Amino acid sequence: MKSLSLKNLAKTYFDAYKGEHVTAIRDVSLEVPAGEFVSIVGPSGCGKSTILNMVAGFIPHSGGEILVGGAPVKGPGPDRGVVFQSFALFPWKTVLDNVGFGPKMRGVPKAERDAIAREYLALAGLSHAADRYPNELSGGMQQRVGVVRALANQPDVLLMDEPFASVDAQTRMTLQDELSRIWEERRPTVVFITHDVPEAVFLANRVVVLSKGKVLAEVDVPISRPRVWDRLVADEQFKDLSNQVLALVRSA
Amino acid sequence: MNALLPLWSFVVRTSVKWPILQTLAPFVPVVALWWAVAAWGPFPPAFFPSPPDVVAKFISLMEKGILPEYLGDSVARLAIGAAVGIGLGVPLGLWIGLSKGAHRALWPVLLFFQAIGDIAWLPILIIWFGFGLTTMTFVIVYTVLFPVILNTVLGVRSVRIELHRAAQSLGASPARIVGEVVVPGALPNIMTGLRNGLGYGWRALIAAEMIVGTSGIGFLMFDARRAGSVTEIVLGMIVLGILWYIVDAWILAPIEQATGRRWGLVTQ
Repeated sequence: MKSLSLKNLAKTYFDAYKGEHVTAIRDVSLEVPAGEFVSIVGPSGCGKSTILNMVAGFIPHSGGEILVGGAPVKGPGPDRGVVFQSFALFPWKTVLDNVGFGPKMRGVPKAERDAIAREYLALAGLSHAADRYPNELSGGMQQRVGVVRALANQPDVLLMDEPFASVDAQTRMTLQDELSRIWEERRPTVVFITHDVPEAVFLANRVVVLSKGKVLAEVDVPISRPRVWDRLVADEQFKDLSNQVLALVRSA
Repeated sequence: MNALLPLWSFVVRTSVKWPILQTLAPFVPVVALWWAVAAWGPFPPAFFPSPPDVVAKFISLMEKGILPEYLGDSVARLAIGAAVGIGLGVPLGLWIGLSKGAHRALWPVLLFFQAIGDIAWLPILIIWFGFGLTTMTFVIVYTVLFPVILNTVLGVRSVRIELHRAAQSLGASPARIVGEVVVPGALPNIMTGLRNGLGYGWRALIAAEMIVGTSGIGFLMFDARRAGSVTEIVLGMIVLGILWYIVDAWILAPIEQATGRRWGLVTQ
């Protein structure tokens, strides 16, 4: 695990149709120490997905610095695992081969990477689904595979882009419980993008509220772990923090 | 009515056990009608042969070895067309699909040459290569090639950007992404292109064999016209239909079933 730091990050692009420069990210600085879980929330269009895409290296940044463990980011790489809102599983690969894809790209032999994949599938209670294809699974199951596929590649930083936005409410709470448990077991460095305030507070050590391409506020979440919804639903501290963050987002 | 239920049950069980019956059953009324019209006799048999005439012709041509030889020639040409079409069309399609520059430069040209359908090339090919194998090979390769290229390009461009990104962030190099993501993602479209290409190619080949051929099913049919043997022409038509059915149902459909459909990329 490594730290992630964003220093005066900016993104402007030229809209050729309108003929003008558009500023998506004005000036964002953020420190995520190794092993910390940070959620980024904000209204639609505040630039939260743009930040994640730049950290992942999918799109270039136009100003400032992105450092992973002190080294600048140049394009996509296996040191930053990504979990996508649309799951982005390979439909032509079984669940086992999806999870073993990262190790395969590193040249890990078949038997060894299958063992790695099975270990991580067990972590998410997916052992029974190893030989199935993604389209044979429910949305919730597919995203479990998405999370496990990113983790199995042992990234320094895990980037999650609204990963639970497209599953139903019950499944979402189960997935949040499971992600919380897995994070407590493995302690990866996580940046979690969401527009769901309770989700952001439930999962994170710290919630960053973004507005119009800038950091509006950072809220620490000192709620004790392990966190499970059965307990937090009625927890006063959780409610207070959620309301505090929600007020910030609504003011944004 | 209830008395018919056991019969219906028998039909269902038999057709599950012998799927070939499901294929053949629809042809029973077609052949029966053909036979009835031939027996009724408004046309002289030399103009309108009956099923037994065609079967007899089939047996005699098989015994003489003419039909197996001509059939072999046509199928071999189709196979060459398919092989060159895949070997050339898929890599070209991948390149044009992946490179923006190549796409901009070549797409209009491809559409232009695709529009000059197969046998529209025959006049100039006959001048260049004369009557024979080169001309026929050109026609079938040309006909297979364009649908394969065009569909491969569409397939490559239909692969969602998230899948490229997922592979990149799992450590895949550009070359591995082609093999692991682009080719399998484009495969359903490649199969469609191949199916269309072979379908058009088969028709073009028969036409080319009629005009410039010295062997093959098309040549057999056109040669029979000179001899005035309607029976042989009808036999050739039936052979064409059966052969395409075999290629489609026994080779192309199972590949599609095992790939795109299994992965949920193609709806049932």
